[in-house]
Amino acid sequence: MRLANLSYRYARRAPWVLHEVDLDLPPGTVAEVTGRNGAGKSTLLRLLAGTARPSRGSVSGRPAVVGYAPEIFPVEQPFTVSAYLSHMAAVRGTEATSMERWVDRLGMAALLDVPLGDLSKGSAHKVGLAQALLVPPGLLILDEPFSGLDEQTRAELPRVIDEVAAAGGIVVVSDHQNGLTAHPGVTHLRVENGTVRAVALAGIQDLARDGSPGDAPARSIIEVLVDAGDAEAVARKLQAEGYEARIRGEAR
Amino acid sequence: MRPTALLAGFKISAYLRSHRIVQPFVGLLAVMIILYSSRVAPGQELPSYGDSAALLVPVFAWATRGLLDTEPDVQRLISITAAGRPGREVAAGLAASALVSAGLAFLALVLPPAIGFQAVPGTAVLLGGLALHVLSVLTGIALGALSSRPILPDAATSALTMLGGYVAILLLSLAPITWLTVPIISWMRAAGQDAFLSRSLPGLATVTVFWCALALVTYIRLRRTRP
Repeated sequence: MRLANLSYRYARRAPWVLHEVDLDLPPGTVAEVTGRNGAGKSTLLRLLAGTARPSRGSVSGRPAVVGYAPEIFPVEQPFTVSAYLSHMAAVRGTEATSMERWVDRLGMAALLDVPLGDLSKGSAHKVGLAQALLVPPGLLILDEPFSGLDEQTRAELPRVIDEVAAAGGIVVVSDHQNGLTAHPGVTHLRVENGTVRAVALAGIQDLARDGSPGDAPARSIIEVLVDAGDAEAVARKLQAEGYEARIRGEAR
Repeated sequence: MRPTALLAGFKISAYLRSHRIVQPFVGLLAVMIILYSSRVAPGQELPSYGDSAALLVPVFAWATRGLLDTEPDVQRLISITAAGRPGREVAAGLAASALVSAGLAFLALVLPPAIGFQAVPGTAVLLGGLALHVLSVLTGIALGALSSRPILPDAATSALTMLGGYVAILLLSLAPITWLTVPIISWMRAAGQDAFLSRSLPGLATVTVFWCALALVTYIRLRRTRP
């Protein structure tokens, strides 16, 4: 799959959200997309998924089956989880039983008869993931897939991603939670100033180790000491702001 | 074709389960009560159908707009990927709207012979009524689609555009130039004249289909940049 000279803006005279982006995503690619809020990550994902048309340039070689899991699953729909997934399975031309595998793997058995409007954020997110996986996707787009998930599903998701990639699928993940940062074989893409560029993992590791940015632009490490109980909340706040934040351990 | 049909089924199911159909249904009942509170005398059935078709345009537009707006914006994106391409999602929305409006139009056609007419009219009148309501459904779908949320995100602007559009069409169609807009007033006038099916309907249908096709092509083109 290839993005050639791709540009996008919301209106004719609006500023470019993405400008002259060139990107190759061969089969089996797992790409993690990072960038600050409003940088254009979700727009890039929608262009990849084919739900938005480029203002200029082209997207070629998009696989026929695309799975798209949005950042916030729309729960304002008058269906139970089971009825919703049955409808989506039918539209995708597969049996309703195809949901069973994902009901088990994503821990959704107790949710099947629950109306979508009654779901918690994490449970709704699982429904969004399940519908994207009903048919093995050639292109899987996951917008903040780790957000609000329980530990079990957070651990399962990288395995699911690996399976899709191993079958020749392309997986593109927007990820503020750094759920895939240390995952082997991941291509790291950074959306910044309207462009998309690959960032070497080594550069990220160097930066974490000694502050030398490699071929990435100058960045700094700041130390923030907080009570151990608050660490996760503070890290999530920083991640939500678009910063790379990781808990390094306890200080004595 | 199959993903489009199944997606249309999903949209209709969501529309019915959300009870949004109650609003145009109440509108339909109000029109039926106004038109048929006293029974229509023999020979006056086709003019009644003409009035019904003209008055039901905003009801069909309301049903279309309500159906297209039932799906949350993000669900439309999911539906596009599930169906395979954006065009199928647009087609499914229009097909679902047509089915719902056709159901309402069916009621507007069969209720009068059952309770509104003094005598059951002949085939020519029923065919004339059917043709008029098909034109009304088409106009309603075009108006409803152009005022749906992907095109006009603001709810107040959308409602005003839909109702204002209907009033504008009514006013413009008062003019003696039939082709200026959808000739709603001419539908009503022609329905009261002899040989409606053979003399007036072809010309009125051609103009109506032209304007509705233009509106729907505009809607489809606008949806290319408004998923």
